Amino acid sequence: MFHAPVTRAFWLVVLGITSLGANPARAALGGDAASVLADGAELHGSVYAATLPLYDLQEITADSGMHVRQYLNRDGVVFAVSWTGPVPPNLQHLLGAHYAAYTAALAALNHPGLHRSVRVASADLVVESGGHLRAYGGRAYLPLAVPAGVPTAELR
Amino acid sequence: MRSITHIALPLAASLLTACIGGSHTTAALSTPAPTLNTLALTVDTGPAAAPGAINHAYVTVKVCAAGSQTCATIDHVLLDTGSNGLRLVHSVLSGFGVTLNAETDAQGNAVEECLSFSGGQTWGPVALADVTLAGESAKVPVQVMDDTGVSAPPPATCGANGTLINAVSGFDANGVLGVGVFAQDCGAACVAAATPLPLYYGCTAAGVCTAENLPLTDQVTNPVAMFAADNNGIVIELPNLQNANGDATVQGTLIFGIATQTDNALPAAGLTVLGADANGDFTAVYNGGTTVLPALIDSGTDSYGFNDPTIAVCGSGAFVGYYCPAVAPLSVSAVNTGVGAYNSSSTIAFAIADPNTFVANAAAFIDLAGGGGATNFIWGMPFFYGRNVYIGIDQHVAGIYTGPYYAY
Repeated sequence: MFHAPVTRAFWLVVLGITSLGANPARAALGGDAASVLADGAELHGSVYAATLPLYDLQEITADSGMHVRQYLNRDGVVFAVSWTGPVPPNLQHLLGAHYAAYTAALAALNHPGLHRSVRVASADLVVESGGHLRAYGGRAYLPLAVPAGVPTAELR
Repeated sequence: MRSITHIALPLAASLLTACIGGSHTTAALSTPAPTLNTLALTVDTGPAAAPGAINHAYVTVKVCAAGSQTCATIDHVLLDTGSNGLRLVHSVLSGFGVTLNAETDAQGNAVEECLSFSGGQTWGPVALADVTLAGESAKVPVQVMDDTGVSAPPPATCGANGTLINAVSGFDANGVLGVGVFAQDCGAACVAAATPLPLYYGCTAAGVCTAENLPLTDQVTNPVAMFAADNNGIVIELPNLQNANGDATVQGTLIFGIATQTDNALPAAGLTVLGADANGDFTAVYNGGTTVLPALIDSGTDSYGFNDPTIAVCGSGAFVGYYCPAVAPLSVSAVNTGVGAYNSSSTIAFAIADPNTFVANAAAFIDLAGGGGATNFIWGMPFFYGRNVYIGIDQHVAGIYTGPYYAY
């Protein structure tokens, strides 16, 4: 379906470079449950946890009105995060080791400017970010770590 | 209501004269000249310092340091219905010899702001300025986007959502004029939060910035809402494009006020009015789907922005990240529904072209769609071509409508 081999190849290279870098102590996407709690503390939020058939869900609700959801697979790895709120979350923390790949992919877009909806996607990483002041929303997931049987539409 | 009282007199005088004289031609002579409420709107390739802009609608703004005669008339300021308040690039202001001094908070610290766009954030001081647009003016806090590093440096969290965008080249504009549905950019959420949002900061002389709450009167403010008249919203009029593959330039009109003067009357029939929620959004459902998305009519985004995984994304050429349908033009649609009192629905059919067929160096493209995320729906600049779009400001009345709403 996609006829974008050039871009895909580029992003794979970027991800390869990124993986050589040190993981920040507080990784979220690709990190573990402890990283979720660290983010909850940063947001001054309460953490709600639920065990679902195919994954665990942890939701941080902050008094600012920000909601951050983190999805953990059965290996304990955060395979997806999503957010809504009056301001965006700190994506550098939320995307963890994948943040550099995200910013590199953003830089490869033409005319990003003021866009209020952006999407970057590779085989390893999808990040969707949108909205405006008072109402931001987005999500990021690691396609290769999403448990079988979980539709990506469910990750929101 | 203030806007209604301001226009009632000239309108009544006009009607009276028309009745007595029995001729419309004498009415204009006996009526006080209305405030000039129109500003030229131009879509072109952008400021000389950053050519290559696409689907950017620009206005010219006059700004003065508050209470002074030190002014700049700045062209190529991007008209943005997706934000509220005026933001100007520092180096552009200083090029005119204009210095806007940061307002101070209760502690005497300079107020700065970190505003997020989807792909980055902008940083700089908030300063009071006299803003003049056509014959209308207002004294409002504006943001100075600090591309030259003269203010306190941003905190580490500003720039943590992508890159820091402060320069003319980042916006393809000398500034951004936010004329959305609200008076203040943040509003009540930034006034008394237990944990201040990371938006406004108080910065010490030593350059240490801490997030803080800010009264509404100190927040970056949509100047339209503060005009003495014609303050209940705007009308954006842009013609249809001449060429499917791109027009070199487009001329339109930005009109201040809705139903306040003869040039901004609400049409008697055929108007779709979509109420907006507390965030400024209505809803949209794309192409017969089931997902209800927050939606925005956004002149600051150069394309239709939404997610459709069945459409290929351009991986090369001059439009990387936009949609490149395999068979173009691709016909799609979305259904808009208003929120609250104005909850009618409206189906908009549109087309997506292959942007690699576009004319090089053109500035306006009607069928351009971007690979957006699955969390919102953005009616960007292509929506405006061939339409009159009304943006009604929160709590302001125009005819039978009270903002916030969008209409077309």
